[in-house]
Amino acid sequence: MPGLIGFYTFGEGRENWDASQFIHYGLSALQGRGQESISLATIGPGNTLHTLGGKGGVEEFFQKNKTTLPKGFIGIGQTSSYEDDYLVHVKTPYELALALDGKTDLHENRGEATKLFARQLSQLLHSEKEPLKATSMLINKIGGGYSFVALTHKQELIAGRNPLGVKPLETGSVGFDIAAVASETCALDVMGIDHTGPVETGEVIIHTPEDIRGNTPANSPSSFCSYEYVYLARLDSNVHTLPIAKIRNSIGKEMAKAHPVKADVVIGVPETALPIANGYSQESGIPEEFGFMRTGENIRAALKPTQKERLLGVQLKLNPIKSAIKGKDIVLVDDSVVRGNTLQNTVFNLKRNGAQRIHVRIGSPALVSPCPYGVEIPPRDELVSGNLNEKELANTVGADSISFMTIEELQHAIGLPRQNLCMRCFEKGAGTQ
Amino acid sequence: MRIMGIGGGAREHAIAWKLGLSDHKPEIFWIAENRNPGIHKICRDNQGELRTGRTTDAKTIVRSARGWGIDMVVVGPEEPGFHGIPDALEKEGIHCIGATQELSVIERSKADLRRLQWENNLPGKLLFRTFKNAREASDYIRKNIESQPWLQNIVIKPARQSGGKGVKLIEDRQVYLHDEKERFKEAYFDSLQASMAAYSDIEDKILVEEKAWGPEYSLQCFTDGKTVLGTPLVQDNKSAHEFDSGPETGGMGSISGPDMTLPFITREEYDKSLKIVEGIVESIQKKTGKSYHGMVGGQMMLTENEGPTVIEMYSRLGDPEALNMLAMLKTDIIDIFQAIVERQLSKLKLEFTSEDAVVVKVVAPNGYPEKRDKAKGHPVQVLETNIKRNGCYLFWGNADLHEDGQVITGGSRLLALMGTDHTLPPASARIEKTMSSVQLADGWGLYHRSDIGSQQLLAKRQDVAERVRPLYTYREEHGILGSRMGWVPRVGRIDPSHLMLQETHGPEKA
Repeated sequence: MPGLIGFYTFGEGRENWDASQFIHYGLSALQGRGQESISLATIGPGNTLHTLGGKGGVEEFFQKNKTTLPKGFIGIGQTSSYEDDYLVHVKTPYELALALDGKTDLHENRGEATKLFARQLSQLLHSEKEPLKATSMLINKIGGGYSFVALTHKQELIAGRNPLGVKPLETGSVGFDIAAVASETCALDVMGIDHTGPVETGEVIIHTPEDIRGNTPANSPSSFCSYEYVYLARLDSNVHTLPIAKIRNSIGKEMAKAHPVKADVVIGVPETALPIANGYSQESGIPEEFGFMRTGENIRAALKPTQKERLLGVQLKLNPIKSAIKGKDIVLVDDSVVRGNTLQNTVFNLKRNGAQRIHVRIGSPALVSPCPYGVEIPPRDELVSGNLNEKELANTVGADSISFMTIEELQHAIGLPRQNLCMRCFEKGAGTQ
Repeated sequence: MRIMGIGGGAREHAIAWKLGLSDHKPEIFWIAENRNPGIHKICRDNQGELRTGRTTDAKTIVRSARGWGIDMVVVGPEEPGFHGIPDALEKEGIHCIGATQELSVIERSKADLRRLQWENNLPGKLLFRTFKNAREASDYIRKNIESQPWLQNIVIKPARQSGGKGVKLIEDRQVYLHDEKERFKEAYFDSLQASMAAYSDIEDKILVEEKAWGPEYSLQCFTDGKTVLGTPLVQDNKSAHEFDSGPETGGMGSISGPDMTLPFITREEYDKSLKIVEGIVESIQKKTGKSYHGMVGGQMMLTENEGPTVIEMYSRLGDPEALNMLAMLKTDIIDIFQAIVERQLSKLKLEFTSEDAVVVKVVAPNGYPEKRDKAKGHPVQVLETNIKRNGCYLFWGNADLHEDGQVITGGSRLLALMGTDHTLPPASARIEKTMSSVQLADGWGLYHRSDIGSQQLLAKRQDVAERVRPLYTYREEHGILGSRMGWVPRVGRIDPSHLMLQETHGPEKA
């Protein structure tokens, strides 16, 4: 699952901006969405599109390519959790570079589906006079759940979100010079750009040297990804006007109300679950303690492609603070359980270091189905909750109890109507599309 | 009574509209650079005429005024004032509502305005420096950026905004983007150096000012030189596109009401702002020895260091802000003008409606403001009855009425639609409902900002105001309003505002 950046400049002296600098820090802020593959495209005087892609993380990529970064005063960038997943460069008939978060329904394979989408956009921009009309036609025609940014050889920056609106996309601007779009508001903050609001579901916004134009999206039923609120988005972001930090706190409180348990301390699994644990502690009155210390940089273990890397991530991330756990009954709060191996590792680690009882509380419903929109939730036969009930799972990971949120509880914590939340990964019946 | 107006924009159309509603039943004459269809009609309906001509040419204006036997002239835009039109008219014994050349310096020279504020230690000022050329500016900034941290976040204002070189904001708040901002700034100074080399007649070619943040608003006033009467606050929106993004324009629309303040500005802040404008009028009169009679306005911002602060001054009404104010005005506009002429403004009771909030939205052809040649020359189609049926008003701006009755776009802001209601969002919605009544016959696109007056944008303004207000009130409570203290290692505690006072006053007074 990628994080996207679009950077645009206006006015006198615009050719002096170096878009790659802004994209660099914008992508840095989006590494939570993945950092395996980094790519960017820029355009400058002469309207030549330059692209560059390579292995992540963001810092390594920009350090390594310091002298060969594409020059230009407008650009787009992508940081992806998939290996070898780069933005698409289509040369004819209408040259453009496109980065897409989510998945279109044009192909089984996410990468292929994105390529096909980019080609169709290129065709339509070529044949239709009005780029705005062409792009809105396309996103209304092509199903799936996705947001995208595209940069054309005519210095157009196109940002769009399909009517379903599963994937976030936010806009920002600063002064009269700079406008930007990003998957999350935290990236705008880091680039020093003021957040101006979400790209609406079904909305297309086109930036040209002369203006910024948007279509008027039809009122279509949107369906925001609930996993964004639980896990994906960064704590300092707002996703479609909802503050993530507040939602994660509510999730914790909701959990404490619906799944109470007697214990001495609440401990959150870093990083995502910490604010959830905080909410649990506030509501239950059980004190919260720091249970783990991280070694090295912040790694999102669950998004790592191989089991070895995921475990490595967890082990480096989770060195227990022994004094906080020894002899205690612990409420261990995590955001979600995918394959269960990392949870098993964590519980075992706590017990080996002297914890008494461990009650696991998960701030989301059990993951039982893969995501049709490209979030890396593995096939059903890998999902531990798709195959084991809570009791079996508790015994397997060595916990004294485990409970998940119900879909209703999560919906309540997020505070959006049920029909506006995509919960397909939590629903057994949902197919792979 | 015969009255003549100068200027052909939406602001002037609104002035003409109010003149046409006056109980004094004046005959209305006009001079504008374009044949504004709205003004043209009002003149014709009121026994007058609209003549096209250069509004900065004293000879043309005086000749027309004398030819028509004009009793009083009202000047709309700033340029005629800069060129001494009011001076020329008054020399001929014709009363003129508008700042004379010397007094209009508060708008014409941003550097002189700042100097005036610091010399008189008036509240609501910003740190500034002037430079003879761009090179000097960039050298100074590079050398002093460590000891004067305010130089990191600056606004660069060329003394003459020509050749597309306008105001540039550079905020350098992220140390990791510092090199990039630095490079951009240097390149911008270089381009200024090249483009401004030709101006040898002005000392202060470049003004560098501290960049402030906060909610902006305009306070427009009438003055006869003795009394300054404030009118309802108006907020204009300068960015071309939704939610304050995109290039700078003359103003894409404005909000006011339903009372004298705005939903995000307090009455106390209004009073302080009025005091600030009064102080500037008083100071410029003292400095020039001339009497200010006409309109004056403060483009204000609530800032963390000063509270209400002057960003720029108007020596006239704002465009489109004038539309809001005039829509709310209950007093006969000719009574106001006469009181200004007779220096009797203190006896006048200025009244405004307290029931209506007013939203104004400007409609511009695609291409404005960056590619005006593309925006120019398109035939306009307007369904005026539709606009009226929705309870909205139309004010023509940069439009030209041709002999055959066809209206053609002039490349700048085409027209403004105004809606009123008890609060701002429904007034905004009213305009949106009738927006399709304005189109270009050749299919070229028009745009406007749908967000102006919306609840969402208001919430955003409120949010900014609520973040700034505690910062300046903290300073007020601690008796350090206006100071910009900082600690620079090895230099010690610094206060650039104290330094600036010393520079403008000499050390003993500061």
